[in-house]
Amino acid sequence: MKWGMVIDLQKCTGCGECVAACKLENNVAIVEPKESEMGRTMLWMDMLTVYEGEYPRLRVRQFPRPCMHCDHPPCTKVCPVRATYKNEEGIVTQIYPQCIGCRYCMAACPYTVKSFNWYKPEWAPGIRETANPDVSVRPVGVVEKCTFCVHRLQKAKEQAKSEGRNLRDGDFQTACAESCPAGAIVFGDLENTSHRVNPLSRSPRATRLLEDLGTEPKVIYLKEVD
Amino acid sequence: MMNNKLIDRLQILSISLIWLLFTGIAVWILNLIKESLRLHDAPDASLGISLVAIPVFFTLSSVLTYVFIGLRKGRKKDVES
Amino acid sequence: MEKAPAAPHPDYDLLRPIENPGKSFYYIVAVLLVIILYTGYVYIRQVYYGLGVTGMAQPVTWGFYIINFVFFIGISHAGTLISAILRLSKAEWRRPITRMAEVITAIVLAIGGLHPILDLGRPDRMTHLFYNGRLQSPLLWDIVSITAYFTASTVYLYIPMIPDIAILRDRGVKPRWLYEFLSWGWQGTEQQHKVLDRAMNILMVVVIPIAVSVHTIISYIFAMTVQPGWHSTIFGPYFVVGAIFSGIAAILVLMIVFRKIFHLERYLKLIHFNYLSVLLLVMSLLWFYFTFSEYLTGYYGHEPNEMRVFWYKFSGAFAPYFWTMVTCNFLLPLILLSNRKTRTIPGILIASISVIIGMWLERLIIVVPSLANPRLSYPTGIYIPSHTEWMLFLGGVSVFILGYMMFARFFPVISVWEIQEGRQESAKTVTERITSYMPDPEPPLAKG
Repeated sequence: MKWGMVIDLQKCTGCGECVAACKLENNVAIVEPKESEMGRTMLWMDMLTVYEGEYPRLRVRQFPRPCMHCDHPPCTKVCPVRATYKNEEGIVTQIYPQCIGCRYCMAACPYTVKSFNWYKPEWAPGIRETANPDVSVRPVGVVEKCTFCVHRLQKAKEQAKSEGRNLRDGDFQTACAESCPAGAIVFGDLENTSHRVNPLSRSPRATRLLEDLGTEPKVIYLKEVD
Repeated sequence: MMNNKLIDRLQILSISLIWLLFTGIAVWILNLIKESLRLHDAPDASLGISLVAIPVFFTLSSVLTYVFIGLRKGRKKDVES
Repeated sequence: MEKAPAAPHPDYDLLRPIENPGKSFYYIVAVLLVIILYTGYVYIRQVYYGLGVTGMAQPVTWGFYIINFVFFIGISHAGTLISAILRLSKAEWRRPITRMAEVITAIVLAIGGLHPILDLGRPDRMTHLFYNGRLQSPLLWDIVSITAYFTASTVYLYIPMIPDIAILRDRGVKPRWLYEFLSWGWQGTEQQHKVLDRAMNILMVVVIPIAVSVHTIISYIFAMTVQPGWHSTIFGPYFVVGAIFSGIAAILVLMIVFRKIFHLERYLKLIHFNYLSVLLLVMSLLWFYFTFSEYLTGYYGHEPNEMRVFWYKFSGAFAPYFWTMVTCNFLLPLILLSNRKTRTIPGILIASISVIIGMWLERLIIVVPSLANPRLSYPTGIYIPSHTEWMLFLGGVSVFILGYMMFARFFPVISVWEIQEGRQESAKTVTERITSYMPDPEPPLAKG
């Protein structure tokens, strides 16, 4: 099993629904505007903007950026305390109680996907009650990032077990994939031919970010064709 | 003199503490290797580093001990005590 | 213990600071302690609130603490490495310098080695390193190599100090128990000298590779990642050269300070400054060579991500720092030290201080720009250090000054016995050595 994600940029409208869904799903802290200006915004899923060309033919492209869940993650290698590792299903996870907050993984990540808890995360009274009980709230001083909604995998597995069957395509969906109104984000097992991501990942439009670094990301983008 | 005896004991204690420290470091590194083997987490890297590190620490403590013992043996024959 | 004002000593100038420290010593200690206490408060505040009190953010997740870590450890190469090389090459002029250099190493290493802890988001979880450390991480290599270097350099500082401690013990200097305890029963017998010599010879050889490894491994923290501007094979030697460079500058500054305060003009003569400053000049050229190679390969290769970092340093936000660094590390020392007219004590002092500033800037220029320019299309990172970070930097420097003062208060900063040994034996051994270099006398021709 090798969980992966296909993001079809032809379909993506850049609406940012995935960013919001992710934030709510994973109890990602909302920082104050002042902090945010300093660059301390916490986003597990970010929407990046690329400007191509010059004024008359300027093109603005946007693409969602979760953690790439590399098969050869540069971040897990440098961790001094095993606070981040790639599990047997290919998901690169963070162990918050283990993290000492050295931020070496952040410096080593070529995709810059990790966030750090610069302060103790605080929630406005209304938001606190809506927090997702399945996801632990991170303490101050640790690194966090997209986990491919691994808590949902846990639930899906238990559900499948109770029904006495194997996991099917769609049983385990990340919040971003589920929320995408354009259906641009597809999630599933890259090695299982019955999952939609499998044929999609072999599309001629398939590409990965910074492929030449050899990190082998498991997030696959389908290029726009114009 | 009572005082001399105390200082003498303290000196022996300090050199033993240094050995304890370096042994502690060696035990720590060995423990990390054991963990890396158990978790299949880059045991080769761990072994390589420890092969260099552990002897260095023991060389240092050996040199210190050599000086410690050498200076004691090299004293003028204790006439005064 | 009976005679408080001890008998006159030929090198009393070296012992005076210990036997009569003077009042100003206590004033300076008091000022430093105030700064250090305040720094302690600032640090506790950081632990309480989190690293948010610093200027670090995403993507510049490393700042002053890592810069100062590299900087302090760099300075530490002053000592042991230089003194080991000078001892090993039997440079006779080393005698008044080695001790000062070794003390720098021991103190600065202790300070620098603690910097990664200041940088931790969760210092309370330090113990995780003991039972769950991963030796694959370059941070663990650092812990191991810095521990080795710290212990080795302390041993290397201590062992050649034993005869001096014995001198203080025999002169009845207080606190007597301290010197009694540390002198390990030294009486200066031939057997004891033999043991000491042998131990020093082993240590010199052991210490050099450890010192080289330490800064190489510090460079590996950066070089082992695939980030533009960091992922470079030249980083190991580049860092080692930079470290020795800043180390020599630090020794020179300290020598000038001690010469002035303790009136050591008889010991630290112009010739010593001249030799060391030529060494500083050589290191400056070597540093420039490495910097040039590092940036030229990046520029010529023209890899887009590499180029973003490159232009950020050369003409972007970091250009003022970059060009100041080049001036401080290369142009100024080159002008001041290559000219005999300016290679005077004030000239050397200016050059050394400029090198120390320049080398600090070099670390800033290595750490921040690569982080500020991530590969993907994020906005360029901004890093403005906060009051906390400046304070901890100042605190680190204060601990260094205090540590050095405490050392100078209790132990001679110039090796008394080595100076005496030099007076008695140097001339003879050097003559013998030089004679041995000379061509052998022609053997009498066999008559055939």
